Amino acid sequence: MPLDTSTYSLALLRVDGRRWNELRRLHAQIRTQAAADGSSYLEMGHTKVMCVVTGPSEPGPRRGGGIGGGAGGQSKDAEVVVNIVIAGFSSVDRKRRGRGDKRTQEMQSTVANALAASLHTHLFPHSQINVSLHVLSQDGSLLAALINAATLACVDAGIPMTDYVAACTAGSTSTYAANDESADPLLDLNHQEEQELPSLTVATLGDSDRVVVLVCESRVQISRLEGMLAVGVDGCKQVRELLDRVVREKGQRMILEGTVEKGTGLNDLD
Amino acid sequence: MASTTRPTLLPGDEIPSSLIPSHPTKPLRLGPGLRHLPPSQILPTVSGQLITLPQKSSMWIEYNSSRYIPTQSDLVIGTILRSGPDFYYVLLSPFTPPATLPHLAFEGATKKTRPQLNPGSLVYARVTLANKHMDPEVECVSATTGKADGLGPLTNGGMVFDVSLGFARRLLMAKSKEEGKIEVLELLGGEEGKLSFETAVGRNGKVWIGSEDIKTVVIVGRALKETDEKKLGVEAQRKLVRKLIKEMK
Amino acid sequence: MPREAEPSLNEKQFVIQALQENLRLDGRELEQYRPLELTLGDQYGVADATLGKTRVLAKASAELTVPYTDRPLDGIFTIATELSPMTSPAFELNRPTETEVLLSRLLEKTVRRSNALDTESLCLIAGQKCWSVRVDVHVLSHDGNLIDAACFAVVSALRHFKKPDTSMEGGVLTVYTAAEREPVPLSWLHSPFCVTWSFYGEQGEIAVLDATWLEEQVRVGSCTISLNRHGEICQISKLGGTPVEAVALLQCSAVSLTKVKEFSTYLDEKLAEDAKRRNKGGLLAELSAENDR
Repeated sequence: MPLDTSTYSLALLRVDGRRWNELRRLHAQIRTQAAADGSSYLEMGHTKVMCVVTGPSEPGPRRGGGIGGGAGGQSKDAEVVVNIVIAGFSSVDRKRRGRGDKRTQEMQSTVANALAASLHTHLFPHSQINVSLHVLSQDGSLLAALINAATLACVDAGIPMTDYVAACTAGSTSTYAANDESADPLLDLNHQEEQELPSLTVATLGDSDRVVVLVCESRVQISRLEGMLAVGVDGCKQVRELLDRVVREKGQRMILEGTVEKGTGLNDLD
Repeated sequence: MASTTRPTLLPGDEIPSSLIPSHPTKPLRLGPGLRHLPPSQILPTVSGQLITLPQKSSMWIEYNSSRYIPTQSDLVIGTILRSGPDFYYVLLSPFTPPATLPHLAFEGATKKTRPQLNPGSLVYARVTLANKHMDPEVECVSATTGKADGLGPLTNGGMVFDVSLGFARRLLMAKSKEEGKIEVLELLGGEEGKLSFETAVGRNGKVWIGSEDIKTVVIVGRALKETDEKKLGVEAQRKLVRKLIKEMK
Repeated sequence: MPREAEPSLNEKQFVIQALQENLRLDGRELEQYRPLELTLGDQYGVADATLGKTRVLAKASAELTVPYTDRPLDGIFTIATELSPMTSPAFELNRPTETEVLLSRLLEKTVRRSNALDTESLCLIAGQKCWSVRVDVHVLSHDGNLIDAACFAVVSALRHFKKPDTSMEGGVLTVYTAAEREPVPLSWLHSPFCVTWSFYGEQGEIAVLDATWLEEQVRVGSCTISLNRHGEICQISKLGGTPVEAVALLQCSAVSLTKVKEFSTYLDEKLAEDAKRRNKGGLLAELSAENDR
């Protein structure tokens, strides 16, 4: 039985001392790489992810060799291409993943579709937005961290979007077999909790209740789903606040340093 | 078409000479599906029913294939793939090389006033050039009269349905009720259904149905598809129409 | 390398308009599946599932092999999917498209990772010999909703499959052929099924079950929920697409449970029918070498 829940019922504290609805420390920076159009670095607890965005730019070599250039005209939007590299040293056991790994491909597809839901791709027809993600350390909530980092990097690159796509994980202290009504939902799981308890990753569009991504890969009773989803959506709202704060602080600092031209309507911040 | 027997032939079968029409003055004309091997052999190349017209001294084979092979002066419905410098590239059947449609082959089109068609639009066109060595060509205006005769882009909404090639041919016959045994469209528009819609039939197995009411289009589409897939006769078609009308009420 | 034929603008607009009036092209309700048909083959482990014009064939087979070194007490269970040009000239062999990767991942998560098949029961001699069960999924015809059809076919094939009987006597493993002893079914824990929802409309407010190929081309988002009839969710994936209200997703999952129960009853009926067909004269019960529990 999970180590987690045995102490949990005693003091309602998890292994790392958090309560059921507390996020881990979320630390993020944008514009970490000056050479790229947009870049970001995000830490959710011990999960550390770097992201670089290039675009919108000329589309790369056509996949599948289409007949002629204009044939892609039916999809007049920019294409979001995501590349994820999970470093071998990121998890406890050193594991080198090949490029064709299906789990990685699925995550790439998920992040791409999540961003495409928010980015105004119709403004850049026939172009490509490249998102490169590097995972430096994994401690649970990997997909959530990837989505958050990609969102920040797109904001840094200045690509117009509807709102932040904020993601986080949620879990439940019950196992699938037990039908206990007293099982609590948990927010932001780390690696150990993810392995033992049922969990899901949810991403929402900004402050609304609208879910962009929902991935649940463990067995859970259908009655638990509502609680986990509610906690997850709530957590995403908190994440969005944190991401927004990061972006605004950086923006202010850049204006102070003179890296960015002051707008004519701004008060003197000196 | 008055003919006594319509045998079903396989490729290479002998045609009974009693069926070959012999007209005193008109030469014998061979239609699709038949091949002339000089000096005097006529062989079918596809399997189907042999149809002969003694008055016009012509004979051909009625056959149903899956892949549409463009033939001259066929009416087809195509999708615009992209626009080239002088032509539009029009897709007649999926996964085939596209046909070319000149920019000026529309009614009253000059270099300045030609219609602008986006990729993905549908056009009703006639095949002008079709042989096995070259990509086919289509046009949306009659070359001789300069009038469109209903050809051109199908713009006012509607929906296109896929049907088998044989069914499309029967729909295009002049007397589709008697010869083609297709009464569905008349029933739907007549007393049974009282629906108002317009249709365009392409020999490449596509039927476009347009109407102001979406429900009408859905009913007509379903009726056509079921008649085609289940090969319904005239009585069964009547029952189908009644059932669909009742469902939709 | 021909590209997938895209539907014309008229077709796309029409489907969207019709859905906004709650109409589907084939007259179904928004939450109605196409008629599901299952044909079980003469050989054990062959299942052919048809959903309208979508047709998927799954074949289960087993062979003796050495278990993985890091899991000496478990057997091996793999699901292989291949979308070949038989389905459509747009697919190529050995060049996995995104559709194929997603399909294969979904089947993995639904059937393998949810422990539907008890892999410990496949082990014969710890660390040396075990059964390797493999399901090959072939898509014969694609008219939308491959995931649900493929999952149904895989589960049917595995439940229908019977592996050769074995016995251990003093360290010597004997595998009996079908002629010597009646083969035994696999140790099956629960039957998960997939239900795929497609979303349409600006806000993703229209939710539709079992989309045909044309409806799939115009959808703005999709979500696949896998559960078994006891109400345990095995996986949910909504991989991007237009954001949908969380409440709507919860409603979808509730409806999915009803559909899964229907699938489950249908499959049970079909298996019972097949068993009766083979069991002429009630001799099968005598031939079975299974112990009573």
